[in-house]
Amino acid sequence: MTAAASRASLESLLMSRSLNYRELMAATHETPDYPILPDVSVLKIGGQSLMDRGRSAVMPVVDELVEAKCHHKLLIGTGGGTRARHVYAVAAELGLPTGVLTDVGSAVAGQNAQMLGYLMARHGVPVVGGAALAALPLSLAESSAAIFSGMPPYDMWQPAPAEGVIPPYRTDAGCYLVAEAYGCRTMIFVKDEDGLYTANPKTDPGAEFIPQITVDELLARDLPDLIVERPMLALMRHARHVRSIQVINGLRPGLITRALAGEHVGTIISAD
Amino acid sequence: MTEPGISPAAKDVPSALMRQTLMDRELVKPVDRPVIRLLPWLNVVAIGGRSVIDRGRDAVGPVVDELRAALDEHRMLILTGPGIRARHVLGVGLDLGLPTGVLAALAATEAEQNGHLVAALLAADGISYLPHATVAHQLAVHLAASRAVVSNGFPPYEIYEFPPEVGKIPPHRTDAGTFLLADAYGAARTIYVKDVDGVFTGDPAADSRAELIGRVGARDLLARDLDSLPVDPIVLELMSRAKHVTQIQVVNGLVPGNITRALHGEHVGTIIDGP
Repeated sequence: MTAAASRASLESLLMSRSLNYRELMAATHETPDYPILPDVSVLKIGGQSLMDRGRSAVMPVVDELVEAKCHHKLLIGTGGGTRARHVYAVAAELGLPTGVLTDVGSAVAGQNAQMLGYLMARHGVPVVGGAALAALPLSLAESSAAIFSGMPPYDMWQPAPAEGVIPPYRTDAGCYLVAEAYGCRTMIFVKDEDGLYTANPKTDPGAEFIPQITVDELLARDLPDLIVERPMLALMRHARHVRSIQVINGLRPGLITRALAGEHVGTIISAD
Repeated sequence: MTEPGISPAAKDVPSALMRQTLMDRELVKPVDRPVIRLLPWLNVVAIGGRSVIDRGRDAVGPVVDELRAALDEHRMLILTGPGIRARHVLGVGLDLGLPTGVLAALAATEAEQNGHLVAALLAADGISYLPHATVAHQLAVHLAASRAVVSNGFPPYEIYEFPPEVGKIPPHRTDAGTFLLADAYGAARTIYVKDVDGVFTGDPAADSRAELIGRVGARDLLARDLDSLPVDPIVLELMSRAKHVTQIQVVNGLVPGNITRALHGEHVGTIIDGP
């Protein structure tokens, strides 16, 4: 079918069929992709893994980000951390639903974005959020970097998890979906471990490092604990732009720079 | 593994989830408690965009009259879907190569406009349109001031919408948004107002042998893999994890009295039960 014919056919399907109609969904699959911010790299700075450690962990990361923005355009998302865990524990114990937990948890990622913003203010890096995301291209053009709170805005519409009430889509998913929606060049998770292990290396000395793995292999292993949010991995399967992510150790100087240069310095998780 | 001494430990706030990845299923269990219903008296009524609002006065007038008459008895969160304009903007956006997240935001705008239309018709009864943030945070006070409010059925996912399994159509639309919000508030009833009598064994518009299914389980309905469902199949999947909304009802809003009867708990249309 020519491009014009397939466009006409898609338009007629859109006007006449249910959006769940298989042929319609398949026709949208063939439409072109226009990446919105293709030269931007998204980094997620961990809450518990980095921000909660304070100056000794955060300042070297800030220095590295400031240096990196001379060569790369950076969109820096923040995680929650120990206060998010505290408020989830309190709210869950009170019997509150996932939507309320999402809301109070997102405030913690917001605090971390604020703090990182004050540390990077002298370098001209703004904190963007909500409606200000519309000015994101300007911030990136002016200062080559912008900070955002990593929690997705699902609020009372956050899907309930299969068990319990902890929001399933948190800051890993939020940062990842920003990278995917904007068609960014890379997604790097900056945490406090060298990458993914067969178990939590903080509690299990037998945990083995996994340098590279596919989403399907990783989900099939059904590991008891994981350094990234499990539901985010499922989202990667259907991604059109960001088909792989890298998890690196932000406590080791130089790794952010090397990962931005495309080096494999942590664990690469890929959809294919 | 990070060797000791590489950096001081994080400054923790003591909690049951302290030092957790929140991914370890066993360790997350201790905080699992029964979830309370925030607004146990709430009725959530979703008005279809294409099925009702696009039909204009002939369809919308009687539906609005019925909602108005129900105000004395029921407290309602009325949510609206988009409709044909969303199809148009999806078509333009897809042709431009824009991603699912942008398409979600564009379609949500149309659902919001339909909400403004319905709210305007009910303004004299003290009913206003509330944006997402107000519905999420101040619904209780608004429903203390008024018997009902109108809002956007689409969830506020926008650029955070999930990439769908096939293609680019945003998967979380009015039906999913309605269900998620109703479940979060622990609503008493969740009613989908459409232009068909309920769920049929086939497409009633195309197949004269299609029969109405009065009551069906969500899992059973998903397994039937029907081509033409009046509610988005994603709702049936979401029902399996719902905390409160274990039943939804699909009614024909073009038949006068159906909304009223459904609000009274009568079995009109199709009732879909969760697991």
